[in-house]
Amino acid sequence: MAPDATRLDLLQGTLDLLILRALRSEAMHGWAVSERIQQISQDILQVNQGSLYPALHRLEHRGWIKAEWGISELGRRARFYALTAAGRKQLEIETENWSMLSEAIARVLRMA
Amino acid sequence: MFWRGVVLRLRALLFRHRMDEELEEELQSHIHMQAWKNRSGKLDPAEAMRLARLQFGSFVCATEECREQRGISSVEILAKDVHFAFRMLRKSPGFTTVALLTLALGIGANTAIFSVVNAVLLRPLPYADPSRLVLVSEARPQSGISGLGMSYPPFTELREGSHAFSAIAGFGAHALVLTGYGEPSEVSTVVVTSEFFSVLAAEPLLGRVFIPEDSRRGAAAVVVLSENLWRNRFGADAGIVGRSVTLDMRPYTVIGVMPASFHTPFVNQANQVWIPLAQDPLFSVWMTKPPGEHWMAVIARVRSGISSTEVQAELDTVGARLAKEFPAEKGWAIRIEPLQQAITGDVKLPLLLLLVAVGLVLLIACLNVANLLLSRATSRSKELAIRIALGAGKGRIARQLLTECAILGMLGGLIGTLVAYWGVATLVPLLPPGLPKFHSVRVDGWVLVFAFVLSLATSLVFGLAPVLSVAGSDPHKELGEGARAGESAGPRRARALLAVGEIALAMVLLTGAGLLMRSFAQLTSVNPGFEPHHVVKAMVSLPQFQYSTPKQWAAFSEELTTRLRAQPGMQDSAIAGPLPIVDCCVTLDFQIVGNPPLEEGAADAANYVPVSPRYFGVMGIPLVRGRLFNESDSSSTPAVALISEALAKRYFPNEDPLGRHLMFGFPVNGIVSREIVGIVGDIHDVSLGKEPGPMLYVPYAQAPLYGAEVVVKSTLSSSAVVGAIRTVTHGIDKNLPVTDIAPLPEVLNASVAQPRFRTLLLGLFAAIGLMLAAVGIFGVISYSVSRRTHELGIRMALGAQPGSVLGMILRETLALTLIGIAVGVSCALAAARLITHLLFKVPPYDPVTLGLVSLVLVAVGALAGYIPARRAMRVDPVVALRHE
Repeated sequence: MAPDATRLDLLQGTLDLLILRALRSEAMHGWAVSERIQQISQDILQVNQGSLYPALHRLEHRGWIKAEWGISELGRRARFYALTAAGRKQLEIETENWSMLSEAIARVLRMA
Repeated sequence: MFWRGVVLRLRALLFRHRMDEELEEELQSHIHMQAWKNRSGKLDPAEAMRLARLQFGSFVCATEECREQRGISSVEILAKDVHFAFRMLRKSPGFTTVALLTLALGIGANTAIFSVVNAVLLRPLPYADPSRLVLVSEARPQSGISGLGMSYPPFTELREGSHAFSAIAGFGAHALVLTGYGEPSEVSTVVVTSEFFSVLAAEPLLGRVFIPEDSRRGAAAVVVLSENLWRNRFGADAGIVGRSVTLDMRPYTVIGVMPASFHTPFVNQANQVWIPLAQDPLFSVWMTKPPGEHWMAVIARVRSGISSTEVQAELDTVGARLAKEFPAEKGWAIRIEPLQQAITGDVKLPLLLLLVAVGLVLLIACLNVANLLLSRATSRSKELAIRIALGAGKGRIARQLLTECAILGMLGGLIGTLVAYWGVATLVPLLPPGLPKFHSVRVDGWVLVFAFVLSLATSLVFGLAPVLSVAGSDPHKELGEGARAGESAGPRRARALLAVGEIALAMVLLTGAGLLMRSFAQLTSVNPGFEPHHVVKAMVSLPQFQYSTPKQWAAFSEELTTRLRAQPGMQDSAIAGPLPIVDCCVTLDFQIVGNPPLEEGAADAANYVPVSPRYFGVMGIPLVRGRLFNESDSSSTPAVALISEALAKRYFPNEDPLGRHLMFGFPVNGIVSREIVGIVGDIHDVSLGKEPGPMLYVPYAQAPLYGAEVVVKSTLSSSAVVGAIRTVTHGIDKNLPVTDIAPLPEVLNASVAQPRFRTLLLGLFAAIGLMLAAVGIFGVISYSVSRRTHELGIRMALGAQPGSVLGMILRETLALTLIGIAVGVSCALAAARLITHLLFKVPPYDPVTLGLVSLVLVAVGALAGYIPARRAMRVDPVVALRHE
């Protein structure tokens, strides 16, 4: 898939936030997470697979999500990730941080 | 959170293979799902799969990044550092060998000494709750007497009335003759009150221990055997309890066997029996006498929750009451001391001294290795600079250098532990006999832990120098250094500092060793006041129940000495009570008849020896005035005594003691008045290290003992004399044991075993320290010469003479040595003050020792510098200028 003008690469650090948000309602495996992000952002946000899995493992390591083996739609074994209590708290914090940041940036841009 | 991280990391480390497999499966599953999605876009399966792989990107990169997220990197870095460290060590075998040997020597010696300290000082006494055990003793503060045993009456007072002690027991030790099982032999007999085993909370291996009924008058005679005696003499007979054994010709019923792990405090012998005080032929008489004889060692268990001041307060009250009740207790006070301290007090300082000394050796070894590492770091500076330039952090490099040091330290520790095993095996037979033996000296778990911690600490100490030098380095300068092979001042100064430190430490060690050696030489050159050569001593004890009257004792000794003299080759023989130095000593109070009585609580005392007439001839003790004893001094003639010069000088300073009378004697025999008939020369009665004190001699025939030391003068070999003593004794009575046979010079030699032991070890450590310091100086100078080849070449090219180059290098060496000595002298003076107690007739600031030690160090320093200096002298300017 060639790079597309309407698709944005993710800002450093925002991937964690998006993953946590995607996992808020239900546990899902890595592919579904990337699909979900792409889908909701209407294909504007493109998740690079090379950074998705390191991010998932990093979040697991920090204790914000936990992983369990389950069976995917295709009948294959897949690792399903789910939010932990700490992850839920982290999601709140990061959501707030993000809205503050984006608001601030928007304000700066409007001024200019 | 933290623990979760640890668990995940551990999982990552331990199940690395499985986790890698799982990761791959997870990523594969992702690709499959992507392919499935692609297929719904009407692609054929193979094409869909290809596209999915393409979309995923680099599989390897993703795997690698995921792995990094697991956080095992630090472990892997460590593994890499360890691997690299081993490679570096293998690459320079010379450096590695020298460093490892140095460290192994230092750590090994420390571990070996620590195993002695651990066994003797650190491990608690092997009794239940040993911290509550105390030694109770009597002291007469007015006369400066302390730490004496107790009399029986004060002991019973404490036993009945004490609230501070939950249990208290008294004991004394002597020897009884065991007959009936093999050769008649003496066994170490501990005479105890019935509470003895319960105070120490000791359980028997077989049978039972004493109960109060055993101490009643008229109770059956019972005995408890030591496991050792039970195994050696009775073949570990399981039915021993209830059997009868014969001690001093009297039957005792065995009631129990104590395990070998049980030790009587202060009594070291393995072949031991315990009997109740009431059953003892010797000490039981004191049970009914008024106080005055301080024969009994008393141990007690302090009730929990009672402080030592409270105990002391109670003891003071009891002491005051006793002083009112018994005149002999006036001026005496009862004291306590923790049992462990009482047992190990004497050996603590010498052992700690050895530990400190061996620690200094290790410190020198550390400085040496640090020096080697610094030299190597300088040669490796380019390598390190390149690595820093290529992006390695200084922290990362420091970490790797420290890993190298830790590996070096650990390997050194490993070899050091082997050295320690060997060292302990060598050390144990050398240990002086007086050392408490509650725990065997060996390399046990604690000692291994000590060696491990020591190795780590050592690595940190010697690793600091190279790491600091990296921290201060500038890759820019290092790489720009190019062809100029000089050396920056920093590391050079650091190495010089290390060498100075080594010399200073060696100075301290050498001074300590020198002082002890001088002191030991003084000690062994002391004239004991008697002539030990060609004199053999032996102990003959007479069973109390067979030889029960003093008349029999006197007759036996007369018979023995007469028969001994009749043997071919025997020049002379005599009998004496306690022999000087061999078995110290009987001290008796005496009164000068005709002098005003002393104030209350004070008393004059002298060491007391009953001797047979020819004793002074055998021992070579000169008669100063008057006459010696002769055969006509007997129990039916007037009581006489000889005094030593020291007594004459102290108590009869301005008058003639001959003809005066002294009142003294054992309370049993009754104290009698004796006329002073002569003055004999002073002898060292207690030990070589203690000045001769006042002595009282009485004729053996007037105050015989139930057993005594025989001294025989003969030019025959000592083994022939020993054989003759045995034959003659057994000719009189085949059941008499002859024990403690030894030539007197050997006994004198053994009496200085402790100072010899510490002098030997400290001397050894000082020698090692000196050698290591010499290697250190040699290393610094030769490295400096090799780094300065270029400079030296220029100097020579400009006309410097080889001799002046030699002088320059030697001056540098001497400067280092002299600074080291200057620093060392002040440290040595401070350290020597701490060992003043161990010195005999040598002041801690002894200028002779300091001077000699300094000379040795200068000589060794000059020698260590001369070898590289000569190499510098032979530098060829042409070669040197091309040198890089």
